[in-house]
Amino acid sequence: MPDSVALRPEIQYANLEQQGDTAQLGMWVFLVNETLFFGALIFIYFMYRMTYPHEFAEAAQDAVLWCGTVNLVLLLTSSLTMVLAINSAAQGERRQMIRWLIATAALGIAFLLVKGYEYHLDFQSKVVPVVNFETKAGEGRARQLFWVFYWVGTGLHAIHLIIGVGLVLYMLLWRIRQGKITAVYYAPLEVVGIYWSFVDVVWLFLYPSIYLVGRS
Amino acid sequence: MSSTTAERAAAPDTAPPSEPSYLTAENTVASWLLTKDHKRIALLFFVSITFFFFVGGAAATLMRLNLATPEGLLQPSVYNRMFTMHGIIMVWFFLIPSIPTTFGNFFVPLMIGARDLAFPRVNLGSWYVFNLSGAVVLYSLIMGGADTGWTFYTPLSTSYANGYVFAAAMAVFINGFSTIMTSLNFIVTIHRMRAPGMTWMRLPLFIWATYAVSVVMLTATPVLAMDTFLLAVERFIGVGVFDPNLGGDPILWQHMFWFYSHPAVYIMILPAMGVASEIIPCYARRPIFGYAGMTVALMAIAILSFFVWAHHMFVAGISIYAGVVFSLLTFFVAVPSAIKVFNWTVSLHKGRISFDAPMLYALGFVLLFTIGGITGLMLATLGVDVDVHDTYFVIAHFHYIMVGATVSAFFGALHYWWPKMTGRLYPEMWARFAAILTYVGFNLTFFPQFILGYLGMPRRWYTYPAEWQSWNLLSSAGASILAVAYVLPLLYLGWSLFWGRKAGANPWRATGLEWSTPSPPPTHNFERTPVVTAIPYCYDPEHDSFVTQEGARYAG
Amino acid sequence: MTIGPEIDPKRAGALPFVLAWAVMLMLAGVSLWTAFPGVGVWAPVVQYGIAALQTAILFLLFMRLKGPPSLKWVFAVSGFFWLLFLYGLSMTDYTNRQNWPPIYYPNGPSFQNSQRGP
Repeated sequence: MPDSVALRPEIQYANLEQQGDTAQLGMWVFLVNETLFFGALIFIYFMYRMTYPHEFAEAAQDAVLWCGTVNLVLLLTSSLTMVLAINSAAQGERRQMIRWLIATAALGIAFLLVKGYEYHLDFQSKVVPVVNFETKAGEGRARQLFWVFYWVGTGLHAIHLIIGVGLVLYMLLWRIRQGKITAVYYAPLEVVGIYWSFVDVVWLFLYPSIYLVGRS
Repeated sequence: MSSTTAERAAAPDTAPPSEPSYLTAENTVASWLLTKDHKRIALLFFVSITFFFFVGGAAATLMRLNLATPEGLLQPSVYNRMFTMHGIIMVWFFLIPSIPTTFGNFFVPLMIGARDLAFPRVNLGSWYVFNLSGAVVLYSLIMGGADTGWTFYTPLSTSYANGYVFAAAMAVFINGFSTIMTSLNFIVTIHRMRAPGMTWMRLPLFIWATYAVSVVMLTATPVLAMDTFLLAVERFIGVGVFDPNLGGDPILWQHMFWFYSHPAVYIMILPAMGVASEIIPCYARRPIFGYAGMTVALMAIAILSFFVWAHHMFVAGISIYAGVVFSLLTFFVAVPSAIKVFNWTVSLHKGRISFDAPMLYALGFVLLFTIGGITGLMLATLGVDVDVHDTYFVIAHFHYIMVGATVSAFFGALHYWWPKMTGRLYPEMWARFAAILTYVGFNLTFFPQFILGYLGMPRRWYTYPAEWQSWNLLSSAGASILAVAYVLPLLYLGWSLFWGRKAGANPWRATGLEWSTPSPPPTHNFERTPVVTAIPYCYDPEHDSFVTQEGARYAG
Repeated sequence: MTIGPEIDPKRAGALPFVLAWAVMLMLAGVSLWTAFPGVGVWAPVVQYGIAALQTAILFLLFMRLKGPPSLKWVFAVSGFFWLLFLYGLSMTDYTNRQNWPPIYYPNGPSFQNSQRGP
């Protein structure tokens, strides 16, 4: 297991620096697309929340607040460990980098476990449209709009997080094992870090939309 | 003016290449299917979209056959499926990917002096994702097709339609990934991979157009992706956010759909504008008029295209106030479009024009775009639109833009760059014949539809009153001419692959970097990284000389 | 654009990031508190404002928005900028449309949908 191998830039790049910067820019350009993707969903949410404030407030009371809050803390912490992993990579501290990356992946998986448990609780409180849904007396049918948003939003977010965990594991089990992440060239890790923090940002906006409505 | 450009003295060839061309470097099937070379991926895309062009064309043929007589040929439900599949396939599987994925893929690195796109694996992935979405849409087509119209309006698409709407919507959803991958690649490449000296104001206009279209693709497609995803969810499980039973708003689907699909019209036309801006200076032997204005106009169209979407929805039930706002905003888009048309026209002034096939296609593009654009303004007028909405007037209008202009530009680009892509010259006379035939056939097909629309014939109807038959018959007859004009290039270009004359590096004596490398280009495009010292389009009509972007001067 | 030494990955220690993380957690706490009685109608404004603030911290520090390549910030901003088009122009419709919000039966006149295709 080599600690590092000498890397050469791909044929279309002049040097590794250009290659790394371009990869980073590519991820930012991709995030434009992701911003609009989730932004469109939240647009729908705002529109309906404006139109049916009471139905949304009542529907959201069934959301499991502690799950959402714990998950918010988990994700914010995982962003911290991710950025510390990148710093360790840049400073050539291989062992620390691996340790922080394992922590990041573990926090991501912990998020998914909490999310899974929350889905279980949701099923029990009958807020799964079509499968197990109860329209409570006097609450109105617009309640389902909230829960469709909930499932689509958290579901798509979870898919993005699973991809993120997969990328971190790919870095750990493939790129780093091959010694391709070094203090000279750690751009792939930075790219994964940018993506990871963006998934965090999505949760930052889903959290008040889902869990903080109708509590007062 | 009788001689074609190819018969004139071509620019002297560069030294024989030391590397084999990209076509002959490797010959296994795997070397094509797993290639990371942007030129090979461009050809793979070319094969895919040509296939879908003819599938969509077959649906159109059935429609025109059906409309030749009021009695019709198809069952009404089959007609519904035909126009839907025609729309879906032509829009997402031909027009939107057409010029960017083929000529964009092939020529963006060549024209900016790069050895490849920034992310070659993403580029190849784009092709596979495109084919995956193509397989899904073919599944939908073979199983019976969707019958909602290409716009998938809710609640028809979510509750009432009986076709394979879910599969068609998923095909569009998956197709979006391909679009995004390609546009991301172009944006990053144009930002980061330009050759030394290739400043933004020295970029050929085709690159500017590709950049503008990539920005539109990147920012519009995710909204459609979310929209179709929610549609698929609603269709699949029966509960969703567009469901009026729950208090949902069906028009919300239209808002988000047109937030994508109006800019999508510019996705189709912007690369075509770039192509025309390459061809016209080359065959008029004159610098393009107002280069800076052209770049500003391209970016202005890209941004303004996001401000106008609800002009498709004037009669859908949106507020009158929104209608007025969007009508006004739509007029703003006409300004940069008009700047471009005027600049192309002035670029011909005092030029040394030769009417080669690409030039004929490009001039046809300008003419048809102008007609389509002006009728677009008529439709943007709130009062007129209420009258002619959902009639053949709309059909004629957007076919002038999307088929007349874009497909003309596509064929123009195909002829213009054919020698570079294949190393062979196409037969000039056949090509001119096809170009003129396209123009004649197109106008015969679609001009009568303006009249029909004004008379009040609604779109998407499988039948019509008998007194409109002469116009419909004319349109169907024109469509058969158009079909011949579209099949002809396939034949003679295929012929020229094997028996065409060999082209030199620069058969058209053009100035771009892509012409400074041998035809077909070597695997890594350039023997050495080019250094750019000049603006594009340095043609001198008086002395018939030109200066390439590398600064080499060629006398007449 | 240059990158500050305190967040330059080559030199940065853990401290600024840990501090930022602590600030974000505190902000999350404030956000949570606003959901319960006390802030009233301003709660959503505060909550989304805090989300935006946390996003800014993540972008600037954790995703290193400053520093090479210099154009990152253009793309980071443009996604949100484009959303303004969607949000803003749609409101010309939803704030002025007749019959919006629709006449709404809380428990719905349940229409029978036609037979659903595959």
